[in-house]
Amino acid sequence: MPAKPSNFASTGRSRRGEPFVWLTAAGLAIGVLLTVGLLGLVVTKGLESFWPGRIEVWKVDREGTLETVAGYVVQERSRRAMDGSAHEEIQIFRGNGELYGEKFLYVDQAQIQETQQPEDLALIERLEGGLVIGRIQSIQLHDGATVEGTSSDFRKQLTQRIREASDRRDQLEDIEKDRIGRNAKEVKELRLKEKLSGTSPEITARLEALQTEFAQLDEQRTEIRQELEADHLVVESIDGRPLSLPVGELLHVFRPNEVGFFGRIGEMLRRIGSFLISDPREANTEGGVYPAIFGTVVMTLVMSLFVTPFGVIAAIYLREYAKQGPLVRAVRISVNNLAGVPSIVFGVFGLAFFIYFVGGVVDDWFFPTSEEPVFKSGGILWASLTLALLTVPVVIVATEEALAAVPRGVREAALACGASKWQAIQRVVLPASLPGILTGVILAMARGAGEVAPLMLVGVVKSAPDLPIDGTAPFIHAERQFMHLGFHIYDLGFQSPDSEAAKPMVFATTLLLITIVVVMNLSAIIIRNRLRKKYATSSF
Amino acid sequence: MSSAKPPAPDPKRFEVSKRTLMLDRAMTQLIRIGGLAVIIAVFGIFFFIVREILPLFSGAQVEAEEVVSTPGGDVQILGVDEWGEHPFLYRGGDEVVFIDMVSGERSVLDVPSLKDVEVTASSFDPVHRRVAVGLADGRVGSFLVVYQTEFSEDGTRTIVPTIETEPWFTVSTGEGKVTALSYGDGGDKRLLMVARDQGLAALRLGKKRALIGKPKLTLQGTVDLTESMTSGVVSVTASQNGQAGLVSGADGQVRYFQESGGEVTLVQTFEPFHGAPPVRMDYLFGGVSVALTDAAGDQKVFSLFRPEGSNQRLFGETKEFPGIGTGAPVFAPSLRNKSFLTGAGGQLSVRHLTSGAVRWEGFAEFEPVAATIDGKTEHFFIVGHEGQVQRFSLKDPHPEAGWRAFFGKVWYEGGSEPVFQWQSTGGSDDFEPKLSLIPLIVGSLKGTFYALLFSLPIALLAAVFSAAFLPHDMKRVVKPAMEIMASLPSVVLGFLAGIWLAPIIEDKVPSILLVCLSLPLSAMLVGVIWSRQPIQVRGRFEGGREWMVMVPVVLLIGWLAWMAGPLLEKAVFIYKEPESGREIADFRLWWPQATGLSFDQRNSLVVGFMMGFAVIPVIFTIAEDALSNVPKTLTAASAALGASRWQVVRTVIIPVASPGIFSALMIGFGRAVGETMIVVMATGNTPVTEWNIFSGMRTLSANIAVELPEAAPGSTHYRTLFLGALVLFMLTFILNSVAEVMRQRLREKNKLV
Repeated sequence: MPAKPSNFASTGRSRRGEPFVWLTAAGLAIGVLLTVGLLGLVVTKGLESFWPGRIEVWKVDREGTLETVAGYVVQERSRRAMDGSAHEEIQIFRGNGELYGEKFLYVDQAQIQETQQPEDLALIERLEGGLVIGRIQSIQLHDGATVEGTSSDFRKQLTQRIREASDRRDQLEDIEKDRIGRNAKEVKELRLKEKLSGTSPEITARLEALQTEFAQLDEQRTEIRQELEADHLVVESIDGRPLSLPVGELLHVFRPNEVGFFGRIGEMLRRIGSFLISDPREANTEGGVYPAIFGTVVMTLVMSLFVTPFGVIAAIYLREYAKQGPLVRAVRISVNNLAGVPSIVFGVFGLAFFIYFVGGVVDDWFFPTSEEPVFKSGGILWASLTLALLTVPVVIVATEEALAAVPRGVREAALACGASKWQAIQRVVLPASLPGILTGVILAMARGAGEVAPLMLVGVVKSAPDLPIDGTAPFIHAERQFMHLGFHIYDLGFQSPDSEAAKPMVFATTLLLITIVVVMNLSAIIIRNRLRKKYATSSF
Repeated sequence: MSSAKPPAPDPKRFEVSKRTLMLDRAMTQLIRIGGLAVIIAVFGIFFFIVREILPLFSGAQVEAEEVVSTPGGDVQILGVDEWGEHPFLYRGGDEVVFIDMVSGERSVLDVPSLKDVEVTASSFDPVHRRVAVGLADGRVGSFLVVYQTEFSEDGTRTIVPTIETEPWFTVSTGEGKVTALSYGDGGDKRLLMVARDQGLAALRLGKKRALIGKPKLTLQGTVDLTESMTSGVVSVTASQNGQAGLVSGADGQVRYFQESGGEVTLVQTFEPFHGAPPVRMDYLFGGVSVALTDAAGDQKVFSLFRPEGSNQRLFGETKEFPGIGTGAPVFAPSLRNKSFLTGAGGQLSVRHLTSGAVRWEGFAEFEPVAATIDGKTEHFFIVGHEGQVQRFSLKDPHPEAGWRAFFGKVWYEGGSEPVFQWQSTGGSDDFEPKLSLIPLIVGSLKGTFYALLFSLPIALLAAVFSAAFLPHDMKRVVKPAMEIMASLPSVVLGFLAGIWLAPIIEDKVPSILLVCLSLPLSAMLVGVIWSRQPIQVRGRFEGGREWMVMVPVVLLIGWLAWMAGPLLEKAVFIYKEPESGREIADFRLWWPQATGLSFDQRNSLVVGFMMGFAVIPVIFTIAEDALSNVPKTLTAASAALGASRWQVVRTVIIPVASPGIFSALMIGFGRAVGETMIVVMATGNTPVTEWNIFSGMRTLSANIAVELPEAAPGSTHYRTLFLGALVLFMLTFILNSVAEVMRQRLREKNKLV
């Protein structure tokens, strides 16, 4: 009896269970969408914070009085009032903190009468007090003269003066940080010497010389400060109120409404640049993140200096030298699992062991005279060591895998040619597994760069005036506290007094951190894939 | 043609150069030592953390010192200075004997006011070092022992004791000699509880500001309490704030009197020992709890708290301690913490109120009649019948610690029942740290649970699709993309959760509900529709690309459901305003009204969602590996037998890979349990012990991150945080180990197949 064709309908591309297949497909789709969405969100929000938008001017009818507001739209929201009615509102950043108090303002869209984009509005960045939005009127010079904003070379003059002010500030910083700092340090040392071994004519003479030097420096400092405050830029806010800004405090003047698309791109690049290379201002909510980048990079590099040799040695031992048996297997599993132990546990260990225990011993031996703890407090060295411990399992596991992937034949060939065990490892096995080891190190660095929780316990701070590496002897200051991009995000987002003003900075920093971490991971993945291909073709 | 003779082989040709050998040996040693050292160092973490924790679980260390004997017995009172160097004895006469423990010298100070009087009762207040005495003629008074500390230039300390006397007061009520008294010194308000042969009185003392000189202590009133008693007085004690007193009667009843507005009234009567009267009643540090001891040596602690439904603070039994031995009980409270020294008949023990633990127990060489603890709780002293004084050094840095304090329910002072509570720092000096780890562990598990609730379905479904259906070339892109998601720093996720996500989803809960429901349903619906299509249509479409079809479907359905959320809210989640009866469609208001649970902006939903991001890639990667490694032979055989592609997955791939899936789940669990920054940033960090999805939590890891920077090294708080770290460490380590072992087993099993 011939079978009915329908009996075969359930074979091959059968429909049985097909809804579940689609369910799993939806799972993957959601997973991919979440990843892409999250990255996309960070990228757009991050880039948005650099993008110079147009300044708009709204005429707002607030209970009968017409108010003029100039600024950017930060966000839109719908609010339910107490009586249940819904309101569409926009949040406006209008700057000019000293005039309005609050830099942000909510405006009901129903109350907006008119919107304009006048070309002559300028956006002024300055050292303190936040952004200023207004019409530039003139420059008032210290000798009483005025440069009118209408004069033909006004912009050139303004740029010129801002540049001069910037040079003066550099000079001032040089005097304050470098020369006065060095002076004070020497005075302190001499005083200590005097206290310990009695006074001598040389010391007294040197102290006097230092005092005169300090007086000179102080005079110079006052002079530059006065110069910086001498000239003023007169700006009129949109509602007609005057503002007088010392030229010495200005950083950048930009008129967003008069430039085109490429002008905007240029301004955006300038902002990204200044974000990357300048110091933070205004409790970290403005300026750049240079010290945080520097701290993150130095910490990660120091960490990899520790983690690479130790991780590789441990892996070579486990794979090549240790007798393979249940014990080594157990050790291997445990090392593997250490990678899954919460990072905060390593932070706890770092605090107790490195800072209180090792740091305490170092301080007792080498800095018995110091009143403040030197190494017995959080610092970049301890942070790096803590992260090295945290990431050493990653390197061990990756190196072990790479060593195991080296074909047995290659190894045996080397030994057959008369190489000693070490020679075989050094000349054949290690070079072959180098990409794998590199992958491990990059993954460890990526993990280290992104960790924050343990760092909070071992030396990261919201603001460190001195970098861990600088021009004062001994140049490398392993005991110094440092700034970190990840902690910067935490601090700005959650500890900042003005969290609204900090938002663009947090998104920008987030974008930067994610870029660093993703680039590191991508390179690790690419290296790994290359490695796989290499051995897939050359296996015996 | 000449065949050249081959040169004679070098006899050393098989020898290895010394340099190579040396290098080889050196490197072998170096790698052995280095490798072992690294491994030991890594595991040293565990031991170091344990080392920091161990002191928490050790009891008190007590060391007895030499006995110093003084002539004459009948010691009534023993007191000591803050440093435990100059104890003094009072025998009921007119002199106080001081002993210098450093030099062993004795000195005697006279109390002028006690000349030619007959002292019939005395009591001691160790806080002010005040000896209160009652006389045969019914007068009461007191003197203070004051230690003046002087530091000489080279830093040595000399302690000079002096005595300050206070005026006599006559008890106007009752008759006969004073049998018992207690002086409660609350500064401006003071209460003297006095029992005489007949009668019980409370004397209210107060300081009056004089025009010239020091404020003068005067008697402001005498309240006769004889009426309140039904039997003779056994012991009395006045509270340290000078506003209350306890009296135990021969009938076993304890009466609690309270002063307010010049009146002293009976507030409460209770019977602690079923008829046996407490012979000692002593306030503990803080003045909220009283330790009661009866003649048989039973000991209980009663504390003041508001019982449920009452607004008055009354005494209730909070702790029962083991017996202290038989004999006349001695008692000394610590002035620093809730520890106390007690004992009877030569038996001594150091106990702690909060943990209810006996910290140390031992025997004295003689039967003590009085005991005291110095101000720093570093020494205690006992004195015997014959005037022999012995000093003990006491080392108990963590009296409030212990298994019960960390993992059990503890009845804290002022609470109406035993609770699990974490509150490590407080405002006042006598604040009692509450160190139960249970709320933190529950918080960790709660966050993890909601994270897995969100991430597990997505990660596993994605892993199944990726392993079973996804074409190879797509897998090469999709898998690394998911891995990159794993590398996103958690601080970024936490920041997005707290700043961006929490405000967005705060008022969109119905939308989220709809999205969660509609996405899987719509996906399956698409599947049903698709499988109804004729084979000709289906054949045109290459398998494995379904997920790309689902991307727009997910976006569309998700958007529709999101938009439909407010409609659902209007239909179902209606909050009725209790006063006006007005109806508002708002989930945030509806939830507390309907369930009685709170609704916070930064809640477990937000944490679960964002932590899900951290966990999805971990689970996905491991589960995908396990599913992909199911041998092709098995799946091919199954398909050849006529199974549909879903049947292959369900009956072959998933069962074979199930240990791998389980290990993925556990590793995801481990990752979520230890996650720190997301929780710190996306929750309110309040320790709770409930599972409400719309409230926050405080996890072990977040707790460490928040509190450890402020904890003093070596303190109980500091070590308890280490204990939290160890719990985390063990939890994740064990989970990961089990997962790893399962994975390896699976790998071997699949190899055999």
